[in-house]
Amino acid sequence: MKKFIGNSLALAGLVIITTVLLAAIFAPIISPYDPNFIDIESILIAPTYSHIMGTDGLGRDVFSRMLYGAQISLLVGFVAVGISTGIGIILGSVAGFYRGWVDSFIMRIVDIMLSIPSFFLILAVIAFLTPSIWNIMIVIGLTSWMGVTRLVRAEFLSLKGREFVMASEAMGSSDIKIIVLHLLPNSMTPIIVSSVLGIASAVLVESGLSFLGLGVQAPTASWGNILTDGKEYIQFAWWLSLFPGLAILLTVLGYNLLGEGLRDILDPKNK
Amino acid sequence: MYYKNIKPYLLIFLFCSFIFACGKDNSVNTNYQNYYDKESGGRLINAMTGEPSNLIAMIAGDSASSAIANNIFNSLLKYDESLNYAPEIAESWSISSNQKTITFKIRKGLFWADGEKLTSNDVMFTWKLVTDPKTRTPYASDYQLVKKASAPDPFTFVVTYEESYAPALDTWTALHILPEHLLKNEDINSTYFSRKPVGSNYYKLDGWKSGQQVSLTSNPLSINGKANINNLISRIIPDTSSQFLELTADNIDLMNINPIQFQRVFPSRKDLRNKIGLYKELGNGYTYLGFNLKKEPFNDKRVRKALNFAIDKNEIIKGVLLGLGEPLSSPYKPGTRWNNTKLKPYPYDSIKALALLNEAGYKKNKDGFLEKNGKILQFEILTNQNKQREMTAVIIQRRLKEIGVDVSIRVIEWASFINQFIKTGDFDVVVLGWSLSLDPDQYNIWHSSQQEPGQFNFLGYKNKRVDSLLEKGRVELDISKREKIYHKFSDILLDDSPIVYLYAGYGLSAINKRVRGIMKPSPPAGIYHNSYDWFIPKILRRNEISDI
Repeated sequence: MKKFIGNSLALAGLVIITTVLLAAIFAPIISPYDPNFIDIESILIAPTYSHIMGTDGLGRDVFSRMLYGAQISLLVGFVAVGISTGIGIILGSVAGFYRGWVDSFIMRIVDIMLSIPSFFLILAVIAFLTPSIWNIMIVIGLTSWMGVTRLVRAEFLSLKGREFVMASEAMGSSDIKIIVLHLLPNSMTPIIVSSVLGIASAVLVESGLSFLGLGVQAPTASWGNILTDGKEYIQFAWWLSLFPGLAILLTVLGYNLLGEGLRDILDPKNK
Repeated sequence: MYYKNIKPYLLIFLFCSFIFACGKDNSVNTNYQNYYDKESGGRLINAMTGEPSNLIAMIAGDSASSAIANNIFNSLLKYDESLNYAPEIAESWSISSNQKTITFKIRKGLFWADGEKLTSNDVMFTWKLVTDPKTRTPYASDYQLVKKASAPDPFTFVVTYEESYAPALDTWTALHILPEHLLKNEDINSTYFSRKPVGSNYYKLDGWKSGQQVSLTSNPLSINGKANINNLISRIIPDTSSQFLELTADNIDLMNINPIQFQRVFPSRKDLRNKIGLYKELGNGYTYLGFNLKKEPFNDKRVRKALNFAIDKNEIIKGVLLGLGEPLSSPYKPGTRWNNTKLKPYPYDSIKALALLNEAGYKKNKDGFLEKNGKILQFEILTNQNKQREMTAVIIQRRLKEIGVDVSIRVIEWASFINQFIKTGDFDVVVLGWSLSLDPDQYNIWHSSQQEPGQFNFLGYKNKRVDSLLEKGRVELDISKREKIYHKFSDILLDDSPIVYLYAGYGLSAINKRVRGIMKPSPPAGIYHNSYDWFIPKILRRNEISDI
């Protein structure tokens, strides 16, 4: 904990993330308007006291939409990373523990997946499915597990030769027990770091998909589709592009800072 | 030390000179206010979002292609500025007393751009081509109604229809006549001619850089005389925001703009207003909400009417088009003779809507939704990726929610929208648009026989009275009788409410003020109608390397 407070960048990241999290959780309480309330009489108002981030092309309050958009962005981030980390841990453990042809097979799949540009893969898959928030989370999760798999496998390879693992094996523990009780807890550091960084990229991918119209569907607000709406008005309604753009930037920055900071803090070599 | 001190000043100096350099470009050219006499020469640069696929319009079918091809080719007839038929390749035409035969007299002394003579043989050749089953064209059906066509001499072309066909003359304004001597040994579907066309109109193709621009230069042998402007350049700029930047930077002369640019950007930018003129005219199309009439509950007229009453069209026009549109009550352009002025759009009336839904058996449940036999009234609005349509759907969704209808929205890319949903009939409600031809015939859209996959009556509209009116309208050549037929048709259609007319938007154009001779107010045929007569005074032209 001390190390954490000493690391100012990680702390900054944590502050940003916490702010966004609180904003998302308390969106129904904080937001001054219904995010989908259309007011034709007040289209494209610049930020004022009553609309602190202005209104959009249908007179909806941008601040309220940003708050609800935070929910979507974070939900996508956490669920997608949950899926990819889950897959990564299982496949990585199997590959790292059993070696042999299972290992080669899984690693070749990883190589194949890594050789496909993932954003385009996601685009292609989404084009076939109904674009909905659940589909997006699943697709992002299913296309971003390769990093975790490699990390887990590498940790397992180095841990498997250690004495405590051998001792456990000699005492006749089952494979599952060795993996879950001895190997996984000792490989948590890289997993946590890569998950935090993974959330950042998932947030970015969701924004990108929504920006292209393949993400969260109208009228649900997400940062990506507020940004798309803003593109048309960029000549004079700067607030429609600035706020969602900044929000995406800060959130991604926050997760990255936190991730990097955690790596420094948790790395025993880095004393 | 010395070096360190000088640096900030240098920076400030550089910065200032940069600002002044920019300022100079933006300065107002007062010459724009003066009067100028007509003079020929110069070049006009416009922008288009898509690249033409093929300059043979009957094969291409996309708007970018026909926009270019219209400058290169002629038809037998054309519309004049008040939308009456006028001669073009044909100098006159006569209709036989049984109304089945049309005889066109071809003008003498016409030439193709390559110097060959243009005669009725070319017209005959073009008719054979468009009706040939091997030609892959969506426009064949109109011309297949011709039972017999002949060219008895080089200056006469005669067509005979099975029975009288009212839109016939309209179809002959749309068919570009192609040169037989260049195409007779070519496969029209894959010929070189589609990228190296030879026509007879004001311009001929000068160059075509794929993905960049198509340039046209004036055709000295044009059958309509010479256009004032020598060169037409169409730059391909897919993103309309980039087009707008090019327009403001003076790199293009004209483009279609959107309501936001028209209502918000221009009024706030004096520099733009000084050099760019704005034009608005009602477009040839409308946007509607269409019900899948084969599906519950849209097969119930009361439900359709109720939803029509529950949608506030003026609100949509105000919100989506910033007021730059008009509500409709018939599928015809307001201001034309086919539009029935006695009909009024459904007013916004949520009480009436609820009453009609109650009558149809829907009652509010405890969650506030309308319910019938335990089923909530809910459906999905499907539309393509078009910002205006998407915003329209969002406004409709909000209004319908107020009366207890649960609506979701789905936005889909155009190709899958057509193939997966429209052609298969797998949809509840669509927000879409129709663009209209000048002839009032809408047999393809509303006749009950036109419901095969790929045909235009995909809503599944079926009404015996409408069927017989549409059949009558097609064979009636007397304009005032025809007018009555289509007024009646609009009346029944409005009452039946298979679609909710949402709006007809204005076409908005921004044209640099160096371009002169544009008619204002615009004639019924639109501002582009006399573009051959536009001119650019020498003093206002861009600096050009080789100007004539």
